[in-house]
Amino acid sequence: MATKGKVLIVDDDPDLVEVMRTALESDGFEVISAADGTQGLNLMRQEKPDLVFLDVIMAHPTEGVDVSTTMKEDPELWDIPVVMLTSIVDTEYLGHFPTDRPLAVDQFLTKPLPLSDVLRIANEVTGQDT
Amino acid sequence: MIEQHPLQVELVERIDWLVRLRWIAVAGTLVGIMVASAMEPGLPVGPLLAITAAIAGYNVVFLLYARRLNLRRGTGIRRRQSPVFAQVQIALDLIALIALLHFAGGVENPLAIFLVFHVIIASILLTRTASFLVALFAASLYAAMVLGEYAGVLPHHHLPHLAGAGLYLQGVYVAANVFAMTVTLLLAGAMASSITTRLRERTQDLLQASQTCEIHSSGLTEANDKLRELDEARTRFIVTVTHELRAPVGTIISALDLVLGGYAAPEKQRKVLSRAQARAQELLDLIRDLLELSKARQIEGTQQAQPVQLAQVLENVVELMRVEAENKGLFFSVDVEMGISPVLADPDQMKAVWTNLISNAIKYTERGGVTVSLSQTADRVVGAVQDTGMGIAADDLPKLFEEFYRTGPAKAAVQRGTGMGLAIVKRIVESYGGQVWAESEVGKGSKFSFALPPTTARPDAAAPAAGEQDVNQPA
Repeated sequence: MATKGKVLIVDDDPDLVEVMRTALESDGFEVISAADGTQGLNLMRQEKPDLVFLDVIMAHPTEGVDVSTTMKEDPELWDIPVVMLTSIVDTEYLGHFPTDRPLAVDQFLTKPLPLSDVLRIANEVTGQDT
Repeated sequence: MIEQHPLQVELVERIDWLVRLRWIAVAGTLVGIMVASAMEPGLPVGPLLAITAAIAGYNVVFLLYARRLNLRRGTGIRRRQSPVFAQVQIALDLIALIALLHFAGGVENPLAIFLVFHVIIASILLTRTASFLVALFAASLYAAMVLGEYAGVLPHHHLPHLAGAGLYLQGVYVAANVFAMTVTLLLAGAMASSITTRLRERTQDLLQASQTCEIHSSGLTEANDKLRELDEARTRFIVTVTHELRAPVGTIISALDLVLGGYAAPEKQRKVLSRAQARAQELLDLIRDLLELSKARQIEGTQQAQPVQLAQVLENVVELMRVEAENKGLFFSVDVEMGISPVLADPDQMKAVWTNLISNAIKYTERGGVTVSLSQTADRVVGAVQDTGMGIAADDLPKLFEEFYRTGPAKAAVQRGTGMGLAIVKRIVESYGGQVWAESEVGKGSKFSFALPPTTARPDAAAPAAGEQDVNQPA
């Protein structure tokens, strides 16, 4: 059976990657993953995923933000939908991100994101009906 | 501060004022001569005009000189010359006034009282001593003129409309006149300069007060900046802690979600749940470490401290650690000098220091082993834990003792870790007036040391630290 689409997870928490991978694979997606921003960008260029789940705070507090900005400046990558995930909900905290540019993301969601939502978003973005 | 001294600025301004005032005096003298010559046809108008011209002449010179001084603002020359300049002007004015009086009736002329103005001006501009000298000079000049005319040494120019003939020769009158003038000048000088001195003191006090205020306010600004920095650091810390606590909780919830939602096959479920359990345990570790850290933060210095034998604390820790090391196939050696001084600290916290350093060493060492040493130098007790482990890159060394910091290779080698251990060690040791430091070489091993002040000095303090002797060969 052909996969529903290719999903890239960029997150430095291997346990969370594993959990999301399991859920997405059980729903028929192909999952690739990267543990940091640079590796994530490289994989995007090689594998052309249909959707990226991007963690905000990795080794640097704005690593995820930097990745999405790079993507939106790169014609090869700017079409790939990005869902940004963060464990920080507080908007006051977002003020601590040293960035004054608008976030180049399609959705900004807080962890823990229910897996049903992860699958719903993946299906919506890749044009599947659930 | 010297250049802006208000008293000096005031003096310079007053000298400009003196020059302006003199033009008025010149004009007044000319009018006076005209009026007097109409009333007293015998008045020697020639010499009087000559003297007035001389006053105008030297005033031009002073004006030019004052301008030149003003041009040199800020060079410091003005400041030194101003009092001398004022003295010269006042002396010339006194001589000119006495000369005018001499040609206009001498002791008969009531305008002699104008001498008081000069003395008051001197008291305003000059120091107390200088103004006394000016008063004395004025009185002496006056006395010399009056007595000179009385004695016939100087010619007398009589003004018949002003006084009876021969007044200047009446000994008692002349003496009383000189006495009255001398007393008036000296008292006027003394009073004016005492008022001026008090004003100057007030100005000086105000100046000092304002400087003290400035110093105070700059101190307050500094303290405020420091507080703001601390506050920002605290906010950053709270944000980091929040993130570190939320991230594993999020992962645990997602893992449970995976199992409960039936997304994973049974064998996968077990694996995911055991990872979730490990993460929950990590959270517990983190909370324990955060409490430890906040305890170390709260204790200020030595208030809860008691004399602690580090060797004894180490002995208790070693029993547990030795098993852990041997389970990993590592050697574990302890090298403690005899007769080490106790240190002032909390025993539980010292246990935390040893435990953190030794368990780190075991955690990041795969071959070889761990050597723990305790020694004493002249002014400190030094504990050290050396391993033959993976080592730490030079770039990472400075950040090692920061909260939550774990190096990339450390994370890769050992997943479990809060990144708090070394931060706790640093906090504890520093709160008792000690230091921590690390030396390392990638691939060869690391050495973590801490030093605390001893409670008693070592008798053979000159001997070098024994901590340097422990050399380990990887197995």
